[in-house]
Amino acid sequence: MATLLILLGLIALVLLNVPIAAAIGIVALAGTVALHGTENLLNVAITMYEGTRSFPLLAVPLFILAGGIMNAGGISRRLIEFAAALFGSFRGGLAMVDIGVSMFFAEISGSAVADVAATGGIMIPAMKKKGYPAEFAAATTSSSASLAIIIPPSIPMILYGTLAGASIVQLFVAGIVPGLIGGFGLMAVAYGFARRYGFAAGEAFRLARLWQAFKAAAWAFLLPIIILGGIFGGVVTATEGAGLAVLAALFVSGVIYREIDWRFLYRCALEGVVQTAVVMLLIATSALLGVLLTETRVPQQLAAAVTSLTTDKTLVLALLNVLFFVLGFVLHSAAAIILVVPIVLPIVNAIGLDLVHFGIIVTLNLAIGQQTPPVASVLIVTCSIARTDIWATTRWNIPYIGVLIGVLLMVTYVPSTCMALVEFFYR
Amino acid sequence: MKTFRRLVETLLGAFCVALIVTLTALVLVAVAYRQLGASLTWYDEVATVLLAWLTYYGAAFAMLKRGHLGSPELLMRLPIAPRRVLFVVSEALVIGFFAVVAWTGAEVVVLLKGDGLISLPWVSVQVTQSVMPLGAAMFILCQLLSVRDEWAVIRLGGNVVKESV
Repeated sequence: MATLLILLGLIALVLLNVPIAAAIGIVALAGTVALHGTENLLNVAITMYEGTRSFPLLAVPLFILAGGIMNAGGISRRLIEFAAALFGSFRGGLAMVDIGVSMFFAEISGSAVADVAATGGIMIPAMKKKGYPAEFAAATTSSSASLAIIIPPSIPMILYGTLAGASIVQLFVAGIVPGLIGGFGLMAVAYGFARRYGFAAGEAFRLARLWQAFKAAAWAFLLPIIILGGIFGGVVTATEGAGLAVLAALFVSGVIYREIDWRFLYRCALEGVVQTAVVMLLIATSALLGVLLTETRVPQQLAAAVTSLTTDKTLVLALLNVLFFVLGFVLHSAAAIILVVPIVLPIVNAIGLDLVHFGIIVTLNLAIGQQTPPVASVLIVTCSIARTDIWATTRWNIPYIGVLIGVLLMVTYVPSTCMALVEFFYR
Repeated sequence: MKTFRRLVETLLGAFCVALIVTLTALVLVAVAYRQLGASLTWYDEVATVLLAWLTYYGAAFAMLKRGHLGSPELLMRLPIAPRRVLFVVSEALVIGFFAVVAWTGAEVVVLLKGDGLISLPWVSVQVTQSVMPLGAAMFILCQLLSVRDEWAVIRLGGNVVKESV
C-alpha cells in the first residue's frame, strides 16, 4: 500500500511539472507527516543537509568544471582536428570523427551533456556542411556522447557507487571494455549508414597532417593518462582525480595553449553550478525519501515479492533491465539512478549479483535512457544544437540505440565483459 | 523587478562560482598536502560543507534559470484554463515544500547554538547549517522571480531543454 501511494504521488507530481527533486521531497514529507505527525519535521532539514555531505560526490562538480575548461581552452578543438586527420578519409568519415572524439573526451569528462557541448557545436555544422542529413548528424553526436558515462570517469558511476556502496574505482575499470565495444559498434553503424546513403569521405589521409594534428593535441592526450592513471594507480582517489582533471585542463589550456576564454569559462562554471545543483538537490530530497522507504520497508517488500516469484538470476536481470529500459523513457538519468537503485538493491543482493557488475548494467541502461524520448536529456540537448526534430532524429538513432542495447545484453549475460579487468587488477 | 532579478542573478551566480572555485582549490591543496605527508585533518569536513552550500545556493540559481529536471509535456498539452490552474498548484506545492525546509532549517540552526565543527571547533555549526534556511528562502525568491517567464513558456507550449549529466 505504501509503495503504491509513494509511486502514485510521485507520478502525479511529476505530471504536474513539479521539478522531480521537489516532487520526491514533497512525497517524502507527506509520508513522514502521515507516519509521525509533525513531531519529526526537524529531521527534514537535517536529513537533506547531511544527504549532500558525501565525500565521493565532491567529484561531480569537479568533473563538470573540468569539461567546461576543456571546451573553453581549445582542447576539444584540437582533439577534433586529430580525429579528423585519423578517420576523416573514410566514407562518412566525419561521423567516425564525431564518435572517435566522443570516446576520447569520455576519458576526461564524466558527463554526456559536457560531451555534447564539446563536440556538437563543431561536429554537427561540419557534417551538415558535408551534406550529411542533419538528423543523422544529431543522432551520431547524441548516441556517441552517451559513451561519456560508460567510459571512465563517469558521474553516474560516482552516484551509483555512493548510493550502493560499491567501489567507484572498480566501477571505472569495469566501464572500459563495454565503452570501447560500444564506441567501435557505433562506428560500424555510422559506416553502414555512410555506405547505404553514399555520404562523402573527407580529405585523403596524409601522414604529415596526422603528425601535425598529433603534435597540436599531444598535451591533450596526456590528460586521460594523468587523470585515469592517477585514479587507477591508487595515487589519488576518484574525487582527487576530478580535482586533478580541473588542474590539468587549466594548465594545458592556460599555460600550454594560452587560449582560455575567461568569459566563456565563467559561463561554463555557472553551467557547471546548475548541473551540479540539479543532481545534488535530487540526492538531498532522495535522502528524505530514503528514510521513509526504510521505515516502510518498501525495498525489502519489493525484494521479497520478486524473489518469491523467481530467484533465477537470468530472469531477475531481465526484469531489472526491462524496468530500467521503461524508466529511461520517462526519467532523467540522474533521477533514475537516485530513485531506483536504493529500491532495487535488496533484490540485487538477494540474487547474489556483484555490485560493480550491476553498476555497469545500470549505467548502460542510463546511456540508453538518455537516447529514448520523450525524456532523453542528451538527445534533446543535441537536437537543440542541430535544430532537428526529436522524433525524426530518433529514427536515425534507432540502430545506434541497438548497439547500446547489444552491449547491455553482453554485459548482463557475459559478466566477464566488464568484470575481467576488475578481477585481474583488484580481486 | 527585472533589475532586481538581474542583481540577484549576478550576485548569486558569482557566489556560486566562488564556491565551486574554492572547492576545487581546496581539493587540490589537500592532495598536495597529502602527497607531502602532511594531510589536512579538516579537509573532508570543510569540503563537504562547501558541497552542501553549492547544492542549495546552486539549486536556487538553477531555479532562477528554471533548470531543474521536470516533465512539462502533459501540462503543455492541456487547454489553457486547466493548464493555468495546475501551473499555480505546481508552483504553490514547490514553494510550500521549500518553506517547510526553510522553517525546519531555521529551527535546527537555533538548536545548534554553541556547537562547532568536529575538526575546526571554532567554526560554528550555526554558520555551516545556515545554508538550509537561507538556501531554501533563496530558492523561493528565485522561483518567484522567474515565475512569469516560466508561465510564458508553459502558456506558449515551447520546447524546454533540461540538461542532466
